[in-house]
Amino acid sequence: MGWFPEFPGPFPIEAMYGKVGLYLVAFLIGLAFGYILEIGGFGNSTKLAAQFYLKDMTVFKVMFTGIVVAMVLIFGASGLGLLDYNRVYVNPTYLWPGIVGGLIMGFGFIIGGF
Amino acid sequence: MMDGTVKKQPKPFANPYAAGVLLGVVLFVAFLLTGSGLGASGPLNRYLVYLEDKIAPEHVNRVPYLINYAGGDKNPLDNPFTFLGIGVVAGGFLSGLIHHRLRFETNKGPRINNQTRWLMAFLGGILMGYGARFARGCTSGQGLSGGAVLSVGSWAFLLAVFVGAYALAYSLRRLWI
Repeated sequence: MGWFPEFPGPFPIEAMYGKVGLYLVAFLIGLAFGYILEIGGFGNSTKLAAQFYLKDMTVFKVMFTGIVVAMVLIFGASGLGLLDYNRVYVNPTYLWPGIVGGLIMGFGFIIGGF
Repeated sequence: MMDGTVKKQPKPFANPYAAGVLLGVVLFVAFLLTGSGLGASGPLNRYLVYLEDKIAPEHVNRVPYLINYAGGDKNPLDNPFTFLGIGVVAGGFLSGLIHHRLRFETNKGPRINNQTRWLMAFLGGILMGYGARFARGCTSGQGLSGGAVLSVGSWAFLLAVFVGAYALAYSLRRLWI
């Protein structure tokens, strides 16, 4: 039981505003995501690669601050009954594919710079 | 510039912790409104499958993974991620415009030429794309989003990305420093 049981998100945007509404919301979320990545310096691959030569820790700082802040907000909202965690998409764990794919992406990051 | 003034200097990047907090808020809003997080390889994957379906529909209709996206009359672009991807590009462009950082440039270390950098970018891109599908998501969809909702697999993935990059960084330092 939460404080706001009448509004348990995620909000059914598609049911409320149709597909166009959902796609517009997705576009706006993407817009904010792209804007924030750019102001953080993620548009510059030299800056990104510098993370792995310990010359610029931006990637680490931005990513893990983002993860921790989102985590606190998600579980906080879930505790308050604003967000129904059971309806949130949690990536299923495929341990070895994740690890092997992650290593390949890490190699790709250094070779390609993104 | 209409008034003929000198090109404005690019503004400095935001404080990384401030950018991180904003990123976290947007990620939370994405979960609150849509129930799923952010993604970068997901949208790209959909654009690619769309092209694949135009070029070789028989192939798409034979592969279970692709059928899921574009089997029969299914349009892989008919999905919110398609628009999220467009938004990311538009948002990055908008920020570049506002902060005077828009320009054509090749970001590389001082010891290699542009040609090498472009070739390596292409090769690295292949690995990034392959790795992202192998791991069922990229640093955004699997790492950032899965990390925030405490998926065990996502944390293992994130760790692997950093381990992989740090492991290879020294051998390829010529590319960047």
